[in-house]
Amino acid sequence: MATPGIIEIIDVKKQYTVDGENLQVLGGLNLSIQPGEFLSVVGVSGCGKSTLLRLLIGLDADYEGEIRVGGALVRGTSLERGIVFQDHRLFPWLTVRENVGLGLTNSSWSDAEKQKAVQEHIELVGLAGFEGAYPHQLSGGMAQRAAIARGLVNRPSILLLDEPFGALDALTRSNLQQELQRIWQTEKISMVLVTHDVDEAVILGDRVVVLHARPGRIERVVEIDVPHPRDRDNPQLKRLADEVREAIVGPHN
Amino acid sequence: MKWLRGLVLPVLLLATWELLTRYHLVNVRLLVEPGRVVATFLRELREGELLSQLGASLARDLGGATLGSAAGILVGTAMGTSRFYDRLLGSSFHAAKQVAIFAWIPLMSVWLGTGEPAKVVFIALSAFYPVVLNTFEGIRSVGSQYVEVARVFRFTRLQVFRRVILPGAAPSILAGIQVALVYSWLATIGAEYLLAAGPGIGNLMIDGRESFQMDKVLVGVVLVGAVGASISALASAIGAWQLRWRVTSA
Amino acid sequence: MTQAQLVNGLEEAAPSSVVAAGRRNLSGALHGLRRQALGAYLPLLALGLWALAADRHWAPPQILPAPRLVAQTLGELISSGELLQHVGISLARVAGGFLLGGALGLVLGTAMGLSRRVEQYVHPLFHALNQVPVLGWLPLAMMVFGIGESLKVVIIAQASLVPIAINVFEGIRRVPRQYVEVARVFEFSRAQYLRKVVFPATVPSLFVGLRYGLTLAWLSLVTVELLASSEGLGFLIVWGRQLFQLDLVLAAIVSIGVVGLLLDQGLAWLEARLLHWRPKASWGGAKAGAQ
Repeated sequence: MATPGIIEIIDVKKQYTVDGENLQVLGGLNLSIQPGEFLSVVGVSGCGKSTLLRLLIGLDADYEGEIRVGGALVRGTSLERGIVFQDHRLFPWLTVRENVGLGLTNSSWSDAEKQKAVQEHIELVGLAGFEGAYPHQLSGGMAQRAAIARGLVNRPSILLLDEPFGALDALTRSNLQQELQRIWQTEKISMVLVTHDVDEAVILGDRVVVLHARPGRIERVVEIDVPHPRDRDNPQLKRLADEVREAIVGPHN
Repeated sequence: MKWLRGLVLPVLLLATWELLTRYHLVNVRLLVEPGRVVATFLRELREGELLSQLGASLARDLGGATLGSAAGILVGTAMGTSRFYDRLLGSSFHAAKQVAIFAWIPLMSVWLGTGEPAKVVFIALSAFYPVVLNTFEGIRSVGSQYVEVARVFRFTRLQVFRRVILPGAAPSILAGIQVALVYSWLATIGAEYLLAAGPGIGNLMIDGRESFQMDKVLVGVVLVGAVGASISALASAIGAWQLRWRVTSA
Repeated sequence: MTQAQLVNGLEEAAPSSVVAAGRRNLSGALHGLRRQALGAYLPLLALGLWALAADRHWAPPQILPAPRLVAQTLGELISSGELLQHVGISLARVAGGFLLGGALGLVLGTAMGLSRRVEQYVHPLFHALNQVPVLGWLPLAMMVFGIGESLKVVIIAQASLVPIAINVFEGIRRVPRQYVEVARVFEFSRAQYLRKVVFPATVPSLFVGLRYGLTLAWLSLVTVELLASSEGLGFLIVWGRQLFQLDLVLAAIVSIGVVGLLLDQGLAWLEARLLHWRPKASWGGAKAGAQ
């Protein structure tokens, strides 16, 4: 358990070499994420937003620049940083309970404490009663809830979400967006959400970062100064969403 | 009642067989009455020989299959988890697989004799190939997406192997073992033909052939088929068991 | 499910990248030559060790002939035309048996696939007979057909027939519903339906059966020749063994491997040519995909 520290992304650049050609995915990104903040990142496909997340989580160490969490350089993965993938990536051979408990495998807690935490988080995401189910028995939305519980169970200081609702239908998506908002308010940790859904970005985020593609650079940062919990029909949100959309489509793209 | 249709042909066959032999329409030496076959079966069973022959064959089969599968899992894992071993062993493996497996027997009989060890080694070899291939494929196909989850949760390499790769590869490995079971029974019979020393169903059939006792041979055929069917059923049961947590597609 | 079905489904559903690697090697890919070289390391090492062992007489030459000798014997067999003779005989037997078994299997599989009635009458007996592995029939066949050519052809035919019949049968039954529905929407006649939908959709399964049948045919041939023949590659092995000329045995083994490989690759090439329209992802395998 840790209090969230400031996440600093300092002049991060990354390129891929494909067929001999250099593709600049991220071209000098500078960003600070405040503790407890909900940050949304939007942009067209290929703007590097998912790549950014992989660098933040520590799965990819091949980049220039620095990423620091609470002052310390990010080197590899850490239990302080959790992630929810777009494909839920629940292990098919484990039940929901066992999947959620995965994050506690290497923790020093006692078995009782672990069980308690797992149960709490299953209830937090609204999956009470499904502890013994296998992933293939769950709907897409339920599986994603389980993935969120798994990402939170060991109380990281930041949770990264890589287009978590992209593969779900519209109704489930808006449902889960509400849920995520509630969970965030309860857990009070930093969250970084990558999405291509502007409405989602605006309803959830304190700030919305718009990235433009090739090279990935910050186009604009839009402040969403609307108190939580937010209502989807709020006209202010609608205006801000339009602003974000303009920035995406904007002159550079 | 439709299932009765399935009985029409067998009954017809049986009747024709009985007629041919009863009225000596065919050389009796070549074709014995169905009744004789049953009598022989019962007699052999009573005199105890049949069970010991069957037992010997099954023991060999089991021993060889276990040995081959274990070795297969080991080698398959080595090849699946290490690019080095994969490249080192891969093409040799593929090349060796081309040779029809029974061709190795005469060679093996020179190096290992014609006794039990030779047979068991050969049977192990027949089980080895499918298990290696399936283990290798299974481990390779465990999506990197699961391994990444394990990395986020700071699993040690041993943990990744035990908790991600093995369970992920388990269906494939089991599939390999299913195939190995079938192949090893085939190999058991073949080995008994080609290394014709010692008890076994294959030997029963060879004996029958050499002494022109068709009834003995037919008893052997039925037994081989029965065991084969049981093994297939066992293999299917294994398949159904491991399907518990998977999405059942067509 | 019969043994053949089981093995067939499981083997074909797991295309091993080892196999794929082998095929890539054969088509002469020059990429990653260094990687390829690593694969040669083990055989070369084995070869070196073998030569050393033979040289130092770690085992009597009857048990361990020098690799040089094997190569020499192989060369002699080729140049004297003897190898070609034996290969020809073996291949002729396979061809005869495979064609016979294939044709019968095709007819049987099609009949069972297209007509539920036929299936009801025939399938139970077919299934029961399939429980006996190919080799199980050998002593019986030897009694009935003697040890001449007809024995080989019969055994090989039986070995080929089963996988082909099964695969064609299942191929017809498993024509994806989507295509069947399209045919109904367009009100195809039965003949049109068969010609335009069922048969093309069954061809991939047919090839699976053919590949497997050919492998089984080659395997059966070798076994029969080991047991009851005076000619052919299998016979060469037995002969060499009896004379304790293991160089001959090894030369024959190599030849068997090469011919088997060529047969399989030939069929694969044919399959690729005929089925170029197939989407890369394979549908319908026994192995469910990992999510």
